[in-house]
Amino acid sequence: MSELIGICGVEVEYPIHGHAPKKVLSGINVSIRQGELVTVCGKTGCGKSTMLRLILGAEKPTRGQVLIDGREHGRPDRDRGYVPQKYSLFPDRTVLDNITFGPTMERFWLFGKRKKELREEAFEYLRMTGLHESDAHKYPDQLSGGMQQRVAIAQALIMRPRILLMDEAFSALDPATRGDMQKLIRDLWARAGTTILFVTHNIAEAIYLGSRVLVLGKEQPEDGSRVLLDIEVTDSKQDRLTKLIENAVMCNQREMEVPA
Amino acid sequence: MTLFRVDTQINRPTAWILSWFLFVAGISLYFYTSQKRHLENPEDKVVPGLTQLGQGISDAFLKSDADDQSATGDGFFHSMLWTDTVASGKRFLWAMLLLIPAVVLGLHMGMFPVVGQFFLRFILFFDKIIALSVLPVLFIAFGIDELAKIMLIVIGVTPTIILDCFNLTKSVPQEQIVKGFTLGAKDFGVTYRIVLKQILPRVLNSIRLNLKAVMLFLFAGEMIASQDGLAFRIALLRRHMGMNVIIPYVLWVALLLFLVDLTMRVANRRLHPWFREA
Repeated sequence: MSELIGICGVEVEYPIHGHAPKKVLSGINVSIRQGELVTVCGKTGCGKSTMLRLILGAEKPTRGQVLIDGREHGRPDRDRGYVPQKYSLFPDRTVLDNITFGPTMERFWLFGKRKKELREEAFEYLRMTGLHESDAHKYPDQLSGGMQQRVAIAQALIMRPRILLMDEAFSALDPATRGDMQKLIRDLWARAGTTILFVTHNIAEAIYLGSRVLVLGKEQPEDGSRVLLDIEVTDSKQDRLTKLIENAVMCNQREMEVPA
Repeated sequence: MTLFRVDTQINRPTAWILSWFLFVAGISLYFYTSQKRHLENPEDKVVPGLTQLGQGISDAFLKSDADDQSATGDGFFHSMLWTDTVASGKRFLWAMLLLIPAVVLGLHMGMFPVVGQFFLRFILFFDKIIALSVLPVLFIAFGIDELAKIMLIVIGVTPTIILDCFNLTKSVPQEQIVKGFTLGAKDFGVTYRIVLKQILPRVLNSIRLNLKAVMLFLFAGEMIASQDGLAFRIALLRRHMGMNVIIPYVLWVALLLFLVDLTMRVANRRLHPWFREA
């Protein structure tokens, strides 16, 4: 598979007035291939979301490059779908309007057949994400957290993005709903083959979801975070893999191989 | 004293009595004072009694202005109250229309950093200018016609609305804006179809809360230089101690303002069913 996302020597620093800049990421080199489901985990504040925002185009690196298909991309666009943890839906629109928002941005007015087709398509995505048609005319604040995230996923998927970026999208959900949502993402990924980058601080979630796991962390407190672990998930050696990731997350230890 | 606990549950009749008590007390106090003054001086005009008020209301609501040559005939739609209401209402509507560019400017200042940098410091300074202090300048610059009065309202209220819209725009979560771009929206799509739609109910609330300020500046302009309008009439009648007409006028203005406020609140709720006030 060819490289879709390339993060080359990326460093991110935030200026602090009257102090030395705060290093968030330093020396990040990652290559993500088309069709991978990469989970990124690490401690709170290690720069997971910053890395996702760099790929999204919502933030610029201080040094280095973020390449999509070998080219630098500017601001966020329809090639990169986004599901954040909070504020994932437009509160002033119903579920159906939220899902059809993207396609209607292509044309200001939609009439007759095209409008009907779009509604059908939206209902299809609604069903695909496990929602009922009766939910279509509800506003986001009338839905539970899990249902809101389902709508957010449908809203992103209807645009058929090449990359889906999910930032702790399930962290506010209860364990049962979280499990359902994880299964949904696995199924959608297996079906559509979209490249997914999923940020989480939950190690079990990272291993269950990812075809590959990246662990970010700081070796020294004053340094920016680096990739401490970059590992393919295989069905075998799951226990050892968990221990290795836990070790990297908890102790900030850099190890690139699964110990025998 | 269980009534004064923070968790007191108030039943419907008690709530009704509590909310109307001050109205009843105020009206009672007024008529008590009026009666007392009339016992001392039956011709007292400062606190008119029921008969004088009735006469005043009848004059205001049914008779045209004796000084106005163009006003002919009697009845509500020829009455001085109606002609004054129409005159003030026109100025009020003009001022409200001029608030639309203020909303648009505030929105753009919040969305586009260049526009924000360009205007913010100036608007912050402008907001500190006491509008009434520039009234003489306005009369010199724009004359004593309609424009000066409308400009007074604009100068008095616009900076507040601009800054309110700016802050409301800034309060829209960044995730929503990024999300808009990922769904194919461009700058103006995000500005008008995501941000404006989300802040609009709060903008309407902000305008609603500034209605009194709009009326205040309108009244200031009309009292100083005008030939018609509600405030003009109140200022004119003050010279003749016409309290029996002034009081109905004041209550009429309060009623109008209440109705405008109510209309805006209902419209806001109907237009934005998703909006929950904090």
